[in-house]
Amino acid sequence: MHLFNAIPSSALCASLASFVWIGVLAEPGRFSLIEKLLLVVLVAASAALFWKRFGVVLDKILKSRKEPAFRLFPLGRRVWDFFLEVLCQAKVIRERPLPGLAHAFVFWSFLAFALVTLNHMAVGLGIGFLDPAGAFGRLYFWFAGAFAVACAVSIAGLFVRRFFVRPIWLSRPAVPGHEVSYESGIIAGLIFLLMATYLASFWVSDGSVAARVLWWTHTLSLLVFLPLVPHTKHLHLILSPFTIFLSRGGFSQIPALVGDEDFGLVTGKDITQLVSLQVYSCVECGRCTEHCPAANTGKLLNPKEIVLGVRSYLNDLGPTAEELLLGKYNSQEAAFQCTTCGACEFQCPVGIEHLPIIVGLRRGAVNTGAWEDSHGTKLFLAMERNSNALGMSAIERDKFVQKQELPIFDGSQEYCLWLGCMGGYDPKGREIISSFVEVMRYLGTSYGVMRKEKCTGDPARRLGNDLVFQQLAESNLEAMGQQKVKKIISICPHCVRTIQEDWKEFGTPPEIEHHSEFLARHQAQLPHNNTGEKIVYHDPCYLGRYRNVYDEPRSVISAAGTLVEAERSRERSFCCGAGGGLAFLGEETGQRVSSVRAQELVATGATTIGAACPFCNTMFRDALAAGGDNSPRLLDIAQIAAMQLPKPAAKPTA
Amino acid sequence: MSQASSVLVFLEIKNREISRISWEATAAAHALADGLGLPVDIAVVANPNNPLLATIHGKAPRKVYAIDDPLLHAYTSEGYSEAYRQLIEHAKPAYVVLPHTYQVRDFAPKLATKFGQVLIGDVTGIEASAGTTPTFVRQLLQGKLNASYRHAGTGPCFLSVQAGAFRADEAEGGTTIVEAFRPKLDASQIRTLPGEPFRASAQTVDLNSASILVSVGRGIKEEANLPIVQELATALGAELAASRPICDNGWLPMERQVGSSGQTVAPKVYIAVGISGAIQHLVGMKGSQCIVAINKDENAPIFEVADYGIVGDLFEIVPALTAAVRKAKG
Amino acid sequence: MKIIVAIKQVPERDARIRIDSAAKWIDLQDVEFMLNESDAYALEEALLLKEAHGGEVIVVSAGPERVGQTIREALAKGADRAIHIESPDEMALASYDALGVAKLLAAAIEDENADLILTGLQSDDLGLGQTGVIMAELLGLPHASLILKIEKTDKGIKVLRELEDGWFQHLELPTPALLTIQSGNTKLRYATLMGIKKAKTKEVRRVTVAELLSDEPAIKIGEPVVLLEKVMLPNKQRTTQILGGTPTEAAAALVEKLQFEVRAL
Repeated sequence: MHLFNAIPSSALCASLASFVWIGVLAEPGRFSLIEKLLLVVLVAASAALFWKRFGVVLDKILKSRKEPAFRLFPLGRRVWDFFLEVLCQAKVIRERPLPGLAHAFVFWSFLAFALVTLNHMAVGLGIGFLDPAGAFGRLYFWFAGAFAVACAVSIAGLFVRRFFVRPIWLSRPAVPGHEVSYESGIIAGLIFLLMATYLASFWVSDGSVAARVLWWTHTLSLLVFLPLVPHTKHLHLILSPFTIFLSRGGFSQIPALVGDEDFGLVTGKDITQLVSLQVYSCVECGRCTEHCPAANTGKLLNPKEIVLGVRSYLNDLGPTAEELLLGKYNSQEAAFQCTTCGACEFQCPVGIEHLPIIVGLRRGAVNTGAWEDSHGTKLFLAMERNSNALGMSAIERDKFVQKQELPIFDGSQEYCLWLGCMGGYDPKGREIISSFVEVMRYLGTSYGVMRKEKCTGDPARRLGNDLVFQQLAESNLEAMGQQKVKKIISICPHCVRTIQEDWKEFGTPPEIEHHSEFLARHQAQLPHNNTGEKIVYHDPCYLGRYRNVYDEPRSVISAAGTLVEAERSRERSFCCGAGGGLAFLGEETGQRVSSVRAQELVATGATTIGAACPFCNTMFRDALAAGGDNSPRLLDIAQIAAMQLPKPAAKPTA
Repeated sequence: MSQASSVLVFLEIKNREISRISWEATAAAHALADGLGLPVDIAVVANPNNPLLATIHGKAPRKVYAIDDPLLHAYTSEGYSEAYRQLIEHAKPAYVVLPHTYQVRDFAPKLATKFGQVLIGDVTGIEASAGTTPTFVRQLLQGKLNASYRHAGTGPCFLSVQAGAFRADEAEGGTTIVEAFRPKLDASQIRTLPGEPFRASAQTVDLNSASILVSVGRGIKEEANLPIVQELATALGAELAASRPICDNGWLPMERQVGSSGQTVAPKVYIAVGISGAIQHLVGMKGSQCIVAINKDENAPIFEVADYGIVGDLFEIVPALTAAVRKAKG
Repeated sequence: MKIIVAIKQVPERDARIRIDSAAKWIDLQDVEFMLNESDAYALEEALLLKEAHGGEVIVVSAGPERVGQTIREALAKGADRAIHIESPDEMALASYDALGVAKLLAAAIEDENADLILTGLQSDDLGLGQTGVIMAELLGLPHASLILKIEKTDKGIKVLRELEDGWFQHLELPTPALLTIQSGNTKLRYATLMGIKKAKTKEVRRVTVAELLSDEPAIKIGEPVVLLEKVMLPNKQRTTQILGGTPTEAAAALVEKLQFEVRAL
């Protein structure tokens, strides 16, 4: 190359000796025509290489099925999410503070360098527009310089973390050759080089050979970086702002099926544009897997691999392929180990919505009969025949209602108390109902229970059986409409979620709230007897992450004792293992999720575990039973509230 | 009803014996016949010289028909229904009584159709008095409802009797008149080729010989919990039995199953542990002299037929019972 | 193989039992209906045979309009087409005895010349367990009951039959034949969304009882020979002594009873 031929070694030494703090960004001297041409050619080549891959990805995304029922407006939420998550890097920092901050600095540097880079290229063509010696130029280049320092330090730190500390979440242990991401090392190197060459430019003289060397190094780094972006997970640089902006919003938004041929994510043809966009945005950071209860207890399921499996499918076969998604690229077994706790979707910093993907894959298997599982079949048959997940006779529920003398809802009462499958048939669930009824009686609340209830369909919905779910939802909506049900209270977060959100697909559900919200609202009217006992509260997935209800149950507990938090609480609460229909699917491989969580709760030293979901309650009951006599007692917040009522009949059981 | 009218009861030979349910059907036939003032004839597929025919339980019948033909040595529905049809044509009974066994369920509807009749099956009660049409009670909706039926029109009335619904009479002495009946059968009439009966497992368990049975149902929850009940059985010197789901799961062999698709037992004491009492099970054990039920649900149907019941957690009660039994036995 | 499965729609297992005003049946208000349990197994056997040997599975059912729902379910699970013998109202079929109903079913399927006809062992409501066997006699077919497994052979079929007390038996029969199927032996499949969507396009031939009788003058359904007079709730047969107290107390009380009252210890 012309440049290097022009520099004999002595001149190079002289140049290096000229690294002295000057404080003003040095620019190379005028470029010859050949250099300018070279620059243009290199830029074109880089852009072409970039497009060669990026175009393919963009094509795959655009050729995917259109997202049904997608509404761009209202824009408010989208703009806010974009501001918070993209610009402020909120989730990135909050959920992994130190590495997150480091990443944020790298990202902000990119933004800060916008003008720098533009000017850098312009200088090469002789049309630089920022004068390094001018007032604005000085200020701006120093500003960018500060970011460059932060970025260089950050990227070096991240490099050390990835290659020396080696947190397992960053790797893909199941994929050979992917234990460490070497491409990330290269990208890190390039970024470091970019920052180093920029900063070094403050130490050389304007127009010097050193400046020119730095300039070309910087430029080449950029031009190598650009085509690497679409070939690596750094595609997120371009895609993730769109991904976050265009996300479905809400949490675990399962899209409605469209038409007679839609059965969920069966083959490539079913992958929508949003799903394609999301899987191509994956940074492989592993935050999803880090918080996954299945992945943490030795199961096959790894949310990151689910996403990347879909991506591999798209890379190899494309969005119109007819091969099954649950086959070579994604394991059916893994897909059915998901408790739908949502920790993955909650953690994702680039806006990937894992739950619609996993449930979509399940739908594809269940709605087409491809899922053959004896427990699953038994569950579906029980829901078909008995309209409840437990396969119990409705007469059993009637007997309970009669024995407890629960008033029947006739349209005149304010609230409809929804028992649900657990409240109606499970002994523990019934105790929760009884306790809550005591509280309502004390308050003089006007309520009734429906004469006949059918399961809300939650297990069917999460497992992907749309036939059963539709039948139950429509039947229930009709019954509630006829009986003029306006407001519902439920003790089960699954029922609350399913009725409020998932039933919308088939009609307009009545208002519904969880009993913790009711109790919190009435705290002032209820008697309190604070024993000071240590009570640890477990946030149910479907109440916490799904519904953002964290404080209401805590207010009930704080009134009765000293609230203690588990190590993982609130948005990071660790699942009990029952969700996603898994409570009905028989034994799990690896460690039991419920045992792990129970141990964590016991380790707080609390003497009572406060629950707010009958499923969590039943899972912990079995896990604690294994622990022996010193186990803390397990109470629902309704029971805790009832305990403080002035009736001697209130008897909590462990 | 003509003077030649009678009640004809068909017996079944099983395990080289005339089965207990056959004698129960005979007792039912007598109850019917006495009410209507009719004689009772007995019929059985056997060689006329079969010594079993010498010991008849209950009042002496008018006649015992021994239906004999080489084509009947192995049971086939075609062979039996044709042979029985010929006998009925010959004897012209007004009522044909059968025990409600798997075999009878297999051929009796076919037999009845040949006469343009319909079998009144699985009868649990008979009301018969002179001058009125008898009514027969059977169960509907898996035992949740009873229904009374009446026979209409001319032609023989076919009925089959539920196991345990009637108490078999004791064997009475006296000679019986055995008449050989040789049906005219042709091999071409028999299109099914039966194989040799076989047991699923090699071990033979005879629940019928035990005077106490401890039976376990779904309440036991897991196979690993079976020893709790096993210990009780051992302490009592009892045999272990089970309801169908336990055997379907493979936790106990099929031959320990009590119920409509398992064995019908009538021990001195039947202890049902964690069994709800679904009709298919009740049918197999309600003939027991004393029924004890242990179940946590006080509304479980088993309590309807139990003599003694304990409502509670079997995981607490069964060990306590085992200890109490051991203590009592010294 | 052309296989016909006769199915029945019965009241759900835990329907509230209230006797209707005529005292001849239960009050059907608010009662939901479902496919008879052993018929579900019969259908499953038929579908397994079709999957193994090819052919067609046809379901036939008699009853009022509501039976259509159960027929659709059967089509959703994989049956190819259906025949619905429509009775005009809820109680119309009740006036037929088992022979009458069997005649209707036999008349509706006679011309199909199926290789195999399957029925459930017995219905969950009336529990007669005879319809299949009567149909076999009417159609002149060999039959076998309480069947757990069916295998196709060169000469016909080989079946596994359940006997009492844990015994079993194999049976060989020529086809065409009729089998009544026992519950519990195979894993049932669940109805899928895909199945229900496909069911929309499958043929359901509707024929009323009147049309059937006029089309087939050979079948003469006479007066019923067995009449249901009335239904009643069962009486409790014995008084039950509930032994209370703690488990230890109850156990001691029971042992005492067994020793001195029952004299079994």
